[in-house]
Amino acid sequence: MDASHAKKPERWGTRIGVILAVTGGAVGLGNFLRFPGLAAKYEGGAFMIPYFTALLVLGFPLAWAEWALGRYGGSRGFNSGPGIFRTIWRTRTSAYFGTLVLIVPVLVYMYYVFIEAWCLGYAWYTAFGALDLGPEKGAYVDFFAEFTGSGGNGSLFSAAGAPTLAFLALCFAANLGLIYRGLSKGIEWFCRWAMPALVICALVVLVRVLTLGTPDPVRPELSLDAGLGFMWNPSTQHVGFLESLANPQMWMEAAGQIFFSVAIGFGIIITYASYLKPRDDIALSGLTSVAGNEFCEVALGGMITIPAAFVFLGREEVLRSAGSTFDLGFKTLPMIFHAMPLGRLVGTLFFFLLFLAAITSTVAMLQPAIALFEEGLGMNRRQSVTLLGLLTLVGVGFVVFFSGDMAALNTIDFWVGTFAIYVLATFQAILFGWVLGVGRGMEELRRGAEIRVPRFLGFVLKYVSPTYLLGIFGLWIHQQATEKDNAFREIATNGAVRGAAVFIVGMGLLLLGLVHLSVRRWERREQQAKEIAP
Amino acid sequence: MTLGGWITMLLSVGFVTGLLAWCVWLVIRKRPEPGD
Repeated sequence: MDASHAKKPERWGTRIGVILAVTGGAVGLGNFLRFPGLAAKYEGGAFMIPYFTALLVLGFPLAWAEWALGRYGGSRGFNSGPGIFRTIWRTRTSAYFGTLVLIVPVLVYMYYVFIEAWCLGYAWYTAFGALDLGPEKGAYVDFFAEFTGSGGNGSLFSAAGAPTLAFLALCFAANLGLIYRGLSKGIEWFCRWAMPALVICALVVLVRVLTLGTPDPVRPELSLDAGLGFMWNPSTQHVGFLESLANPQMWMEAAGQIFFSVAIGFGIIITYASYLKPRDDIALSGLTSVAGNEFCEVALGGMITIPAAFVFLGREEVLRSAGSTFDLGFKTLPMIFHAMPLGRLVGTLFFFLLFLAAITSTVAMLQPAIALFEEGLGMNRRQSVTLLGLLTLVGVGFVVFFSGDMAALNTIDFWVGTFAIYVLATFQAILFGWVLGVGRGMEELRRGAEIRVPRFLGFVLKYVSPTYLLGIFGLWIHQQATEKDNAFREIATNGAVRGAAVFIVGMGLLLLGLVHLSVRRWERREQQAKEIAP
Repeated sequence: MTLGGWITMLLSVGFVTGLLAWCVWLVIRKRPEPGD
């Protein structure tokens, strides 16, 4: 089954490099906008109970499982999802299931790189004063609509959309350039300076937020102390601690947040881990990358966004915008930076760190497809980057054109960035616990480990994580089914959403076709190897 | 911020910061071996 490569297999250059690359793949806008927004939505610290429970039951175990699956496949000569799955579960079906390892990152890339361009654009406009739009939110809402094209389909393909397209072209080229340079010289090199830069930017912003005090003496209730309390108090006058904990929706959203934040089921960890050497440590590296992600989310994201917004806007306005990542990040926060002393510098740093968080994620989303094109279709780096560049150009063009009300972006985010991720993560959990088996899986995880992997992890991975995942998945499906305007109904009633759904299916079939060609090529090669062998 | 808020914040931020610091210490403590 081993793939024979004529050239030397690609490897990571350093251990710190791979940890920073995986952490970079996981840290994204969700750490700085979605997590604090969710915590605020559930009015504070009670949210941390289901959040840390999900981290222990899902986050750490599933991340470790993905590292182990990746290195297991990589040490047998495969770096692509279909190749790795086929190595572990020796059926054709498993390779086709591995198409999800391509569909998820490639399709998510198609809208995430667009958001990445917004972050870069907002950093630029904040730095040069174009986002000093006054104290009224309406001006920021209008700016967002014009800059992102959310006002109408095709609106960015006009003179007004030129700046957005320029930022997008810059981000698109940067991602392809890094991928073209390769794993070690491109992705690793970039993450080695981008991740520390991100943390430094966040620390500067954090110091500013923690020294805000009470900016408006006329409204002493809007103080930093009250803002931190709004984010962290376990109970409020509106909802008690136990009452909060009894809310199943909060448990579901906390699990979902851990899931997306740690980047389980994205195809990133499994691909990156496949480039490790067979005896490289994965236990400590996996733990460190999850810890790095959690530090960015809880210690930086949790301390910056909501307290800063509360100090200037108060509880009601924060609650209104906290439910939407885009509202909080691109309509509310620019208004806060406008009102904040040293706001221009702080705002520039904040949007630049969002850009760094986004680009270290998008560059990771391209590697799974590059891995398949090279090992499955026999392409060289130039050919694989060109093919992927063309595919994603079509996808990004689609998302940018159907920007009215973000129809294409939201549809892909729902069906691929949420639904498909659950499916892939559940499949991987079953693959580790039931196909590879807990015994072999734990042996793989312990090989070269520099920390002791707890024995009960095997039990958690075999029974608890899949059950927890299936439970959350079932609740989510039930929630969708009972909602009046659910995602299925939207496909039937909204033309743009239907178009996006057709696009997802078309792209999925195309990638499935490429996987089919790869499988046939691998089978032919294995047949030849059998015939040559005595 | 209430006492509960302070405790929640310090435990949450302290846990993730402490875990990261411990992991980083373990990672950098190991010197590269020949052939690494």
